[in-house]
Amino acid sequence: MLDITLGQYYPGNSFIHRLDPRTKILSTLLLIIAVFLANTAVGYAALCAMVLFIILISGLPFMLVLKSVKPLLFIIVLTLVLHVVMGQGEHVLYQWKFIRVTEEGLRLGVQMAMRLILLLMISSILTFTTSPIVLTDGIEALLSPFRVIGVPAHELAMMMTIALRFIPTLMEETDRIIKAQTARGADFSGGNLLVRAKNMLPILVPLFISAFRRADDLAVAMEARCYRGGEGRTRMHQLAYRSGDVMAFVFAFAMIGLLAFLRWGPKLV
Amino acid sequence: MEPVIETQGLKHVYIDADNNQVTALDGIGMQIQPGEFVAVIGANGSGKSTLARHFNALLLPTEGSVKVHGLDTLDENNLWRIRQDTGMVFQNPDNQIVAAIVEEDVAFGPENIGVPTEELKKRVEDALRAVDMLDYREHAPHLLSGGQKQRVAIAGTLALGSKCIVLDEPTAMLDPKGRKEILNTMKKLNREQHITVVYITHFMTEALLADRVIVMSKGKIEFQGTPKEVFSRVDELEKLGLEAPLAAKVAFELRKSGAKLPPGIITNEELAAALA
Repeated sequence: MLDITLGQYYPGNSFIHRLDPRTKILSTLLLIIAVFLANTAVGYAALCAMVLFIILISGLPFMLVLKSVKPLLFIIVLTLVLHVVMGQGEHVLYQWKFIRVTEEGLRLGVQMAMRLILLLMISSILTFTTSPIVLTDGIEALLSPFRVIGVPAHELAMMMTIALRFIPTLMEETDRIIKAQTARGADFSGGNLLVRAKNMLPILVPLFISAFRRADDLAVAMEARCYRGGEGRTRMHQLAYRSGDVMAFVFAFAMIGLLAFLRWGPKLV
Repeated sequence: MEPVIETQGLKHVYIDADNNQVTALDGIGMQIQPGEFVAVIGANGSGKSTLARHFNALLLPTEGSVKVHGLDTLDENNLWRIRQDTGMVFQNPDNQIVAAIVEEDVAFGPENIGVPTEELKKRVEDALRAVDMLDYREHAPHLLSGGQKQRVAIAGTLALGSKCIVLDEPTAMLDPKGRKEILNTMKKLNREQHITVVYITHFMTEALLADRVIVMSKGKIEFQGTPKEVFSRVDELEKLGLEAPLAAKVAFELRKSGAKLPPGIITNEELAAALA
């Protein structure tokens, strides 16, 4: 329980790990755009090659990244199956009663599935190679220009920081409460879903009370340490773009360029 | 020399949950000199924690005044200056650490007051070295022991540039080892960096190491003096619900039954020497 890691950060010191978090967030967005541009087999092949290449230089185990697809596997398979059996178009490959498999349907189904898999893998590379704390810094820096239109960038980042700080503490506390209630004869394993949800109450009530008390203490402690919002704050670790970040941006834009060319450019074959 | 903290007729009244008026502090007049190590003791509800919060302008006087480094806490313009000069360490080690990395947490205070990056890094490093936690700078706070967490909190006040540190029962939730760590750290800071220390505690043995002990009861200062003076008054302490250190109690009882012991015995060593 003590050793929980938050998020799914996979520590390392690769080129990708060392990139500025802003670069990684923005490049991820750019690559997601690139995925949506793909509409040819060559395009998807290029994207797959790119993901493989990024995984290779990030030093992440390939299976680890592939596993990130698992939570959405059902939806991916469903998308594929629906597109295949409900196929539209004229090139019918197989028909049995209402099931109609067409070339177009097959193509679209595979395309949608590929798209989802690539999106999941690209975004999980971001969270695998960036610790939640650094990610928070990146989000704050990227959102801060929008402060003028009322986006509370600093407040959001502060909330995330405090959440990251207190999740392990509250987990420990939950553990302790469960043990205390079990010692008093509470049963958390038996019964149907409703009974089990009801059994959670003796855990949740003390947990909430303690969380509020902690919040109160923390607010006083923050005030005692001169906290007065994001105005006029400096940072110990300032984010800085390096040459590697430029390379990452060039790469991401090159991918968009390539896929835009494959989509709208003159047909090569 | 100008006192670090000076209160005059300080009164603090608040309304409790049952709508009763409670006088937590009732006319406190005291001074704390630069470089002093002052322990404040008192039973639960004696007002010692309330007093601590006045030193950092977290609470403001209902009547009377509190001056920190000559600045009145009632003047809102002085607020941030006071909180920089007087750092505060609280009882619960978990609930005062803000960031998920030790050095980020120490940097929290100076970040708030806008210290430039280069100086900030130096301050954080110096502060962590002063409390002997430099090796843990990149650790996650929840994996540290209670004593280590409290030392991180002390480093946080040092990084803020505090010349005076007020600790509100910093060892109440620690094990004996952690308790020793905190006390040794504060003694060292007091000796080597001339940090003024106000140490609020209900462990009498911790107060033994102070230059001066202030005994509080029912919102008033009952009496004060050197540890020897204070802890020799065993029966008076007992009336206030406080227990003198064992050696002082034994010496007191022995004297009562006719033994001729020199005055001012408060530690085990002194008692052993007197009895030998």
